[in-house]
Amino acid sequence: MAGLGHPALIAALLFAALALGLCLAGALRKRSDITEAGVRAVVASFAFVVVAVLSLLTALFARDFSLEYVANYTSESLPAVYTLTSLWGGMEGSLLFWTLLLTGFSTAALIRAPAQRAGLAAWAGVVLTGVAIFFLALLLGPADPFTTLASPPPDGSGLNPLLQSPGMVIHPPLLYTGFVGFSIPFAFAVAALASGRLDEAWFVSTRRWTLFAWSALSVGIVLGGAWAYTELGWGGYWAWDPVENASFLPWLTATAFLHSVVVQEKRRMLKVWNVSLILLTYVLAVFGTFLTRSGILSSIHTFTEGDTGKWFLPFLAAMLLGSFALVAWRLDSLRSENRLDSLVSRESAFLGNNLLFVAAAFTVLWGTIYPIVNEALTGVRVSVGPAFFNSVFVPIGLALVALTGIGPLISWRRMSKGSFWRVLRGPVSAGGLVAIGLGLAGIRSVGALLAFSLCAFTAVSLAGEFARGGRVYRTREGLGWPAALRRTLLRNRRRYGGYVVHVGILLIVIGFAGAAFRTERQQEIRPGDTMEVGAYTLAYEGSTRSETEEKQVNAARVEVLRDGQAVATLRPQRNFHFAQQQTQSEVAIRSTPVEDLYVVMTSLDADGTAVLRAFVNPLTWWIWMGAAVMAAGIAVLLSETKGSAVRVTAPQRRREPAVATR
Amino acid sequence: MDQTRPQTSPKRRAKFIVGAAVLVLALVGLVGWAMNRSGATSFYLDVSELQAQGPTAGTQDYRVGGNVVADSLHRDGLTTTFDISDGSSSVTIVTDETLPDAFWTAYDNDPGSVEIVAQGRYDGERFAATQVLAKCPSKFKAKV
Repeated sequence: MAGLGHPALIAALLFAALALGLCLAGALRKRSDITEAGVRAVVASFAFVVVAVLSLLTALFARDFSLEYVANYTSESLPAVYTLTSLWGGMEGSLLFWTLLLTGFSTAALIRAPAQRAGLAAWAGVVLTGVAIFFLALLLGPADPFTTLASPPPDGSGLNPLLQSPGMVIHPPLLYTGFVGFSIPFAFAVAALASGRLDEAWFVSTRRWTLFAWSALSVGIVLGGAWAYTELGWGGYWAWDPVENASFLPWLTATAFLHSVVVQEKRRMLKVWNVSLILLTYVLAVFGTFLTRSGILSSIHTFTEGDTGKWFLPFLAAMLLGSFALVAWRLDSLRSENRLDSLVSRESAFLGNNLLFVAAAFTVLWGTIYPIVNEALTGVRVSVGPAFFNSVFVPIGLALVALTGIGPLISWRRMSKGSFWRVLRGPVSAGGLVAIGLGLAGIRSVGALLAFSLCAFTAVSLAGEFARGGRVYRTREGLGWPAALRRTLLRNRRRYGGYVVHVGILLIVIGFAGAAFRTERQQEIRPGDTMEVGAYTLAYEGSTRSETEEKQVNAARVEVLRDGQAVATLRPQRNFHFAQQQTQSEVAIRSTPVEDLYVVMTSLDADGTAVLRAFVNPLTWWIWMGAAVMAAGIAVLLSETKGSAVRVTAPQRRREPAVATR
Repeated sequence: MDQTRPQTSPKRRAKFIVGAAVLVLALVGLVGWAMNRSGATSFYLDVSELQAQGPTAGTQDYRVGGNVVADSLHRDGLTTTFDISDGSSSVTIVTDETLPDAFWTAYDNDPGSVEIVAQGRYDGERFAATQVLAKCPSKFKAKV
């Protein structure tokens, strides 16, 4: 079966090249029959990639150590579920997985493109197959997953135990889904530029793809944070590591895009901006893929070094230059049909949101590539740490939270200053009260005070939106509050689903703000001794040793007391994995809405003496809760049917619906 | 709704340019301020460069990388002391921080094989590290 892998990739490449040629011909001659043939070639290319993936999977599950990839990432004792994750656990496999998603998504998007958009679909097919050809060439060249070994080892190296965690089963595929998902709106944006069909069709017809990719990326990033928190044992969830940043960059620009397309739909403004944002998002997604494979930055995430990275640079440069040359070429047709009427308008709130997101993306990009640029220019190696990122991110983030509250309150086009202040009154007093209350309670961290107070401001503003929506159904249809609120949410999923996502974000911000009050203790401790952290007393009772097929487990027993009362027993572990010959700590966490108690055993001597490191992390629980609320909001957004997607709202009412313009 | 495209008046354009300039300056100011905060950036040096550079001054930390010298490691309670070398010169690292699992994995396999990067301050004699990162041994193969 492994022998099929290579020929299948060659066939996939040939069909992708054929598809590119056919789609290009279809686009240039405006012949939808040729384009359709091209789409069939895309499907064929996808089918061959599936064959290649299946053959690699078969080899992985059969532990065919004659394949270098299998020998590197699996071992006889690796559980089945982690054998599946080893498919994307190494560089070659991850690129194959990328290609699988890319050709699969291309197939789904192109097959379903309606005939009247054949022009767009043809150009999109050219772009998508072009990207696929690049990745297939990598797989057949420097990143070949089917390289065989002359003398197969008796057992493989196995998968890094850090990666043998449930979160790691779904985190990477979600990130890849997000990264690759942006291929579709990117391709249609380029198609719009190339064909000159610069109305709203390109982003309206790919809206669900954008939303889908953004959702996958959001959930993937949160899961990555949850994984870091529960596995890495340093007490935090986000370290501003270059590779974390690489996934965060396209998320920032995509979030900006999701907001600014609303302005183009309602007001036909910001056209250049929108098209640039999605081009930038995809370039950043590919940049992120490149960063993890280039070996140019040191990070826990990087793959072993190879020369795959240098293939990406010309590809990235071509994408960047090509797409922005297209924008420049079409600049005249991308002029806004309206303009900003007033600074106190929802358009300007959206614009502010966008500027902040792009500023955030710029600062993260700056901090991430500064070491590379600085070394190239001055020869001095410098690294940029979390202190930089936190300093720029706290003000930008807080401003975004404030705008999240202001946005829904103001109307499109313009609003009188008087009525603006009237709607602001409630939320502003809520924010003020929270700030005063917490200030009196003795909280002195300015950042945290601002965060809590702005969250209160925005929460009241969002609650007001739901109340206003619900009241309409209550009076009009005589419903009770729960039913009225449900109808509000379901009748306008895009708007209120978005608000639910915002509520989730507020909870996450509350969790972030809790980090200002973190305490940490580290102590060498003998069995029978105790240590104090925050309001807790940790009584270390000793460690036990046991063995499984894969590892030796050393589990400490720590009784947790609070005010003299036993509240929990924690069992942090320090384990030795045989296959990898690697020591690995397992964190023990007692999580409550108020605070997490987080205990790691960082060393254990033969006589039972341990070093325990304990953190009290206030409000961290709310981050995961906020993520769950966000996921619920995302589900509402994704469940939107076509009908409600094209609902025409106030400023457009006398105009044709955006989607029906053709 | 207006079918005609709005014309950009010179006054509007000037406003736009001024607004954009203010925003860009604000962003540059924010980034500049953040880059100069304590611990935001650190010099990345090898051992000889560290010794040539001399003690840490100002807000900028040092990061120093090298190989752990076999048999130089001592633990006294929470404090760990060991030497690192770049082949020609060596320096003593002192830290109260937890050493990462990867450090011990490599150390247990072969005490001379551990490659580390320490972040902290140098007083001209010893390097007080607030963070120690260990380079993954070759068996480590991590990913996104």
